[in-house]
Amino acid sequence: MAVQSDIIDDAGPYDRAKALGAFKLGDVTFYWITRLSAISVLLILGGIIISLIVGAYPAMREFGFSFLWTQRWAPSADPPVLGALGPMYGTLVTSFIAMLIAIPVGLGIAIFLTELCPQWLRRPIGMAIELLAGIPSIIYGMWGFFVLGPFLANSFQPFMIKIFDGVPVLGAIFAGPPSYLSTFNAALILAIMVLPFITSISVDVFKTVPPVLKEAAYGVGCTTWEVVRSVVIPYTRVGIIGGVMLALGRALGETMAVTFIIGNSFRISSSIFAPGTTISAAIASEFAESDGLHQSGLILLGLLLFVLTFFVLAAARLMLMRLDRKAGK
Amino acid sequence: MSDLSVSMSASGGLPQAPVLPEAPAKVTVRNLNFYYGEHHALKNINLTLGANRVTAFIGPSGCGKSTLLRIFNRMYDLYPGQRATGQLMLDQTNILDPKLDLNLLRARVGMVFQKPTPFPMTIYENIAFGIRLYEKISKSEMDDRVEKALRGGALWNEVKDKLNASGLSLSGGQQQRLCIARTVAVRPEVILFDEPCSALDPISTAKVEELIQELSENYTIAIVTHNMQQAARVSDKTAFMYLGELIEFDDTSKIFTSPTDRRTQDYITGRFG
Repeated sequence: MAVQSDIIDDAGPYDRAKALGAFKLGDVTFYWITRLSAISVLLILGGIIISLIVGAYPAMREFGFSFLWTQRWAPSADPPVLGALGPMYGTLVTSFIAMLIAIPVGLGIAIFLTELCPQWLRRPIGMAIELLAGIPSIIYGMWGFFVLGPFLANSFQPFMIKIFDGVPVLGAIFAGPPSYLSTFNAALILAIMVLPFITSISVDVFKTVPPVLKEAAYGVGCTTWEVVRSVVIPYTRVGIIGGVMLALGRALGETMAVTFIIGNSFRISSSIFAPGTTISAAIASEFAESDGLHQSGLILLGLLLFVLTFFVLAAARLMLMRLDRKAGK
Repeated sequence: MSDLSVSMSASGGLPQAPVLPEAPAKVTVRNLNFYYGEHHALKNINLTLGANRVTAFIGPSGCGKSTLLRIFNRMYDLYPGQRATGQLMLDQTNILDPKLDLNLLRARVGMVFQKPTPFPMTIYENIAFGIRLYEKISKSEMDDRVEKALRGGALWNEVKDKLNASGLSLSGGQQQRLCIARTVAVRPEVILFDEPCSALDPISTAKVEELIQELSENYTIAIVTHNMQQAARVSDKTAFMYLGELIEFDDTSKIFTSPTDRRTQDYITGRFG
């Protein structure tokens, strides 16, 4: 008894408060450091938006909203005419086609890797996917220019053009003449570039499905396809869409490879085998020799890409919320 | 010693299932061996599951009872390196036949797991999903089947107003009954329960046990449980397993009152396990 009360006296309440006070200082410092880090994101984002708006202001004043629906891009005409319709269309179309190809293929690879692949093949394929993600985009550009472009123009494009010749709508989409530099070529390269994002994120989220849930589905007699379609994909939907969004974000903004192979034509063509351009390709190919209003127009294009990306991501969020409601959450 | 076990079951107030006449065999196991890679997990198992009877499997952890259950619907096939030898017949079908259609087998042999496993969809869809795999039926027929299955799972009254809510929104006990309803909906012949109540509270457990008894009128049931009183309450036959061997297999009342084997007696009186 006596010993115990001694201890309490020694470590009197005063000392303890002091010790806690030292901790508290550390805690406050920690709080502020993390808080400032978080706030810095907002500051950087805000700074970029403001400088884009400032840079784009002359073009905005000159062209107003007609910038959005003008197809003509003639910076050296007098007076210069600049319109963003071509690059905006090209950005959306290349990204759309790229996702159309990359989502099924990427998910297919992920499903194969997690559900069907024999153990010995898993690592080689997994590593190949990671290496694909590590290839710099300029290399994709060169490969698309020297290898894929000629291949498509000499075999795939004539084939498609012949098949769909005379078919309404599709005939216009797959119209000739074949071209080394085309929207389709760029979209295909984009699909290859974003594939690793979709695959590796899908593989990661597929692994989070509890084995017992899959067993339960197999237990009512599902085939692997039914298990994947009805249990694995719904269970991991949020993660998959996250991966797709990341991929889409990259496809919308990808510059170097696309600039190499899209042909940089501001004319909108109904055919995906015709040359086109994207916002980032237009900026990259013209920014170095631009000045004045031309440069401001390019900055305005950049601002548009920013807004476009924002809306695409917001739409994806909305879609996700809808899906959740449909699933009864 | 046998006095002790008698007094345990008597003082525990366990309702003893009446000894039913010997039922025709639904599942027959002959000289069954099972291997996890090199590990010999089940050694020479011989037993039969009587049609419309509840057979309980008890034994300490790792004795192979869940393993045995997972052979009945070939669930082990999902994992490489696991294999079974011997003979395992479901009526006239050889379950171990490598050419057997597994989806069909699993439709005939349903399974309820330790943890509730509702699929990530609505309550209605959880039930309809399994039915749709095998039958093309109209919306109204499907509504009937879903209701019937949910009634079969003793869940209808609790969920009839929220069939479009997510299966995950239910409580643990309700989820487990949803899983039972889902299994019943496919109209299997045999239902396997792998510790169905280990994640449930006592009230839900009582409901599920009652359900198992009712289901045995129409289905052949095998249940793995760590709860010996549960085995005594719900089953007609009990199999005691230890270290991969079937030690004793007999009427439940016999196992819990006068077991033949010393190890069975030690286990049910709580001396080990």
